[in-house]
Amino acid sequence: MEKKNDKLFIIIAGLVIGVIAAALAFAGNPKNMGFCIACFLRDTAGGLGLHKAPPVQYIRPEIIGIVIGAFVAAFAKKEFGSKGGSAPMTRFVLGFFAMVGCLMFLGCPFRMILRLAGGDLNAVFGLVGFVAGIFCGIFFLKNGYSLKRTYTLTKSEGYWMVILEAVTFVLLIARPAFIAFSEEGPGSMHAAIALSLGAGLIVGVLAQRTRLCMVGGTRDLVLFKETRLMLGFIAILVAALVTNLVLGGFKLGMVEQPIAHTDGLWNALGMLLVGFACVLLGGCPLRQLVMSGEGNADSAVTVLGLIVGAAFCHNFGLASSPEGPTPAGKIAVIIGIVVVAGIGVLNTYLKADTAEPARDAA
Amino acid sequence: MNTYIATFFMHFGSIRYERMCKAKGYEARTMPVPRSLSSSCGTCVKYTASEPLYDPDHDEMEQMVICNDDGSHTRIYQAEGLELR
Repeated sequence: MEKKNDKLFIIIAGLVIGVIAAALAFAGNPKNMGFCIACFLRDTAGGLGLHKAPPVQYIRPEIIGIVIGAFVAAFAKKEFGSKGGSAPMTRFVLGFFAMVGCLMFLGCPFRMILRLAGGDLNAVFGLVGFVAGIFCGIFFLKNGYSLKRTYTLTKSEGYWMVILEAVTFVLLIARPAFIAFSEEGPGSMHAAIALSLGAGLIVGVLAQRTRLCMVGGTRDLVLFKETRLMLGFIAILVAALVTNLVLGGFKLGMVEQPIAHTDGLWNALGMLLVGFACVLLGGCPLRQLVMSGEGNADSAVTVLGLIVGAAFCHNFGLASSPEGPTPAGKIAVIIGIVVVAGIGVLNTYLKADTAEPARDAA
Repeated sequence: MNTYIATFFMHFGSIRYERMCKAKGYEARTMPVPRSLSSSCGTCVKYTASEPLYDPDHDEMEQMVICNDDGSHTRIYQAEGLELR
């Protein structure tokens, strides 16, 4: 019974999130970008001056809302707790390269769904790569991959991410001279602050209650034939698609899609890197944000990895543009796939203290 | 016979534990952790046995609960260094 209600709840949550995400693009956010955790962390990094790409600088209230929404939901249900200590630097590096993959494709897994829902067929290549990347990660999971356990940390540890988000929000409202605001480009397109924050809060609460995760859907389906998280993924797609059709945001095709390029191979490879890194992390960028709000310091470090990754991508010309990927970006994605595979090998086969799976199977 | 659910920090912990259960002839299956048990998205093993099964060789188990007839759970083990609610 519980299981049935669980599924119904995640479908309803997915539908609500899909409508909100598609509608935000009509309230001022860039097209097919009502939500994009990667793009919004990148914009926030730009707003804080961590990179100097003028079109993508804006502290996104959606990110703040998601973290605080997840915090409130977890706190209210007594699920908040300071936890961490499971390979933080490895998670930082995985977060860094997940962002490199996202900015090759121009979107996180969440935006990939929204691009599909907007009729952007380039995202189909992204989806193929994404699923392939998840399979790469699952290969390691099945063979003994582990980043080791988490521990309960000092009480204050879990609050830092929430405090940082609150401070960032104050900077957004106060607009001191050192905070950058894009005057043109995607960073200049945004819904009203209250609307963005409200949308983020709702998504944060729902994602915390349902454990919604874009990589978790495919992972659980493959590993356990469990459809719950996948239903959330599909519900977002359907709701966003219908909202786009009703509001006129649906444009089927590959060419001249908003904030997208048409290089299929690199769209796929970028998302392969994202899927791969996120399975080894245990969750997509949205899920990492939510868990950081629940007090998980490992996820908070992952979010910092994503932010630093975004800053590097724009400081060193690794991020794609609607014209296509950059040569440096392609090299970075290849390096990323190699590094993530290396992390998989190191934490699967080269652990001195882990008995080999074959012996246990016997 | 009782039904137990053991949750793990990482996926492989549950895969290994499921093999252990099956080697002992218990009915066991790996699945996502029930939402009512945790907000984390890890994996667990649900199995039926007369006694709970511990694996002192590996520190991968997060907690173990016994499933009550009314659908609730009673915790019988939690990993050291971890406070659960």
